[in-house]
Amino acid sequence: MPINESLTQQLRDQARQLLESKQVDCVIGYEASPRGSARPAFIYDPAGADRLIWSTACIHNLVTYLHDKKKPRRRGEEPPRVAVVVKPCDSRAVNVLLAEQQIERERIFVIGVACEGTQDEMGELLSRCTRCGDRVPIVYDVLLGEPPEVTPVEDEYADLTHIEEMPPSERLAFWLREFDRCIRCYACRQVCPSCYCTTCMFERDDGLWVDIGIELPQKHIFHLGRALHLAGRCVECDECERVCPMELPLSLLNRRLVREMEALYDHRAGREEILTPLLFELGEEGSPL
Amino acid sequence: MKFTTFDGLKDWLDGLAQRYDLIAPRNVDGHVLYRPVASSDEILFDYERPELSAKDYFLPATEVLLRVEKRGRELTEDQILPDRGQVMFGIRPCDAHGLAAIDALFLEQDPPDWYYSHHRQRTALVGLSCPQMWKGCFCTSMGGAPDDPTHLDVLLTKVEGGYAAEPITEKGQALLKGLTLKERKGEIPSPVADVEHVPVTPPQGWRPLFENDEMWMRHGERCLSCRICTYMCPTCRCFDVTDRVVAERAGVTRIERIRVWDACTSTNYRRAAGGHNPRATKASRIRNRFFCKFCYYPEDFGPLGCVGCGRCIISCPVDIDITEVMRDVARAR
Repeated sequence: MPINESLTQQLRDQARQLLESKQVDCVIGYEASPRGSARPAFIYDPAGADRLIWSTACIHNLVTYLHDKKKPRRRGEEPPRVAVVVKPCDSRAVNVLLAEQQIERERIFVIGVACEGTQDEMGELLSRCTRCGDRVPIVYDVLLGEPPEVTPVEDEYADLTHIEEMPPSERLAFWLREFDRCIRCYACRQVCPSCYCTTCMFERDDGLWVDIGIELPQKHIFHLGRALHLAGRCVECDECERVCPMELPLSLLNRRLVREMEALYDHRAGREEILTPLLFELGEEGSPL
Repeated sequence: MKFTTFDGLKDWLDGLAQRYDLIAPRNVDGHVLYRPVASSDEILFDYERPELSAKDYFLPATEVLLRVEKRGRELTEDQILPDRGQVMFGIRPCDAHGLAAIDALFLEQDPPDWYYSHHRQRTALVGLSCPQMWKGCFCTSMGGAPDDPTHLDVLLTKVEGGYAAEPITEKGQALLKGLTLKERKGEIPSPVADVEHVPVTPPQGWRPLFENDEMWMRHGERCLSCRICTYMCPTCRCFDVTDRVVAERAGVTRIERIRVWDACTSTNYRRAAGGHNPRATKASRIRNRFFCKFCYYPEDFGPLGCVGCGRCIISCPVDIDITEVMRDVARAR
């Protein structure tokens, strides 16, 4: 994956300056992986800034790592101040975490990168990027790079239509077949910036709804439950789908609810710093529910 | 070499499918997985490394250990295990090696694990050697090879026009009786094994690195604390046990005790009563994962906890690479 020299240099300079001036304690960005792509990197000292890179292989949503930085590294210290490199999709997660009071705006420095879309190992644009019309992050303290031109998205829900046209029994069979491959590794949940419950309801020792078995009923309820918990909170970064070792089409579930939330409440998670309407409108008079 | 045609092999497998539970590599919606098959037509013969290891058929992801039925004040217990034989066709040598590593704990310790031994005893391993090493593979550094027969009952190798078959154990010899084999001149071709050697540091070399926080932060900080690596691993064998009520009506309660895979990479794996978690950081969990494989397990039970199948490397969403850790440890000594 060729490295974008100019953006890489800008990122390194920015990171070095932030660390040297002690404006932040840590910069979360990307470094080159020995196997040729990119991977998350945590830089603590200015000299390490030269590890940072930018390329179309920078696919990870690094905002999820901000949850690890909510606590101090050592007892008695302040939690670290962190800079994080974000693409437009990632930046929406920043807004969700701000609205949900998981992070403090003044403790994070957002390095926005103008995004031309990310690619898989074969050099193909990731499916999430083919649907995305954003080239500039929504939240940032500094913006690096020139926004490339936007390719208009014709129908971002085209792939949903096919599922919805199925009769219910066929649709159920489709999903059970997909869920059957799940190995309950929780990678989808772990990578998700919006999934941060201290104890997931699907992993409780006294779970009333679902036990620890790695079987179809548990997997079925886990995936549907997770999708519902993300209604109005999923920023469509599609990281869950990317990390799934069994390639479950989880984006279909999430975007079904994204579309629903937009139709009902004109709400799209992360576009603004507001909570999902489901958290405060549920059951109120005049609510669509 | 002893040789069978492809058609001869398929007939033999169809016969085995009648008598035994036949497990073989199958294409499951685009994923190569070891799965039960009813006929040889479902089997993949040309495949890389199945995406999950073979351990599911010996230490199932979910296994019912005990069924309890309560009627009024009366309790009945039942332990049900399949009594049919099982044949695992197309198992790769690294996966058989992985079972040998688990054997050291579940078979060779006293008492042996009753369920695991049952599955091991009822199963014959018919391996198919890898013609080459795949992306991420490093079995040759871990004492294995793409055509390593050591832990198999039968080793098959694809040759011109069919397969060469070598019985390795008596169990394999007996199983091969149903297969028409002809003597054929020529050597069984050797696979291409050109992967760079990864240094394996002995357990005592790992010990001093336990407190190298910088090293474990560097490898562990990007970990997502998911379970991909441990669930795919042919040697990871941690499990959790729980009881669940499966039916409750008209004075009858049915309870199952299940055993389910668990993973040391997950956040709450080490959480103790009262809520304390001595492995609360990602760095400490990643350190434990690698110490278990190269230090604790070989010290306690003999074999290394890694066979070099490379699954964890190619599946990790954040590129945590066991060979990178091994090289780092070798350098740091």
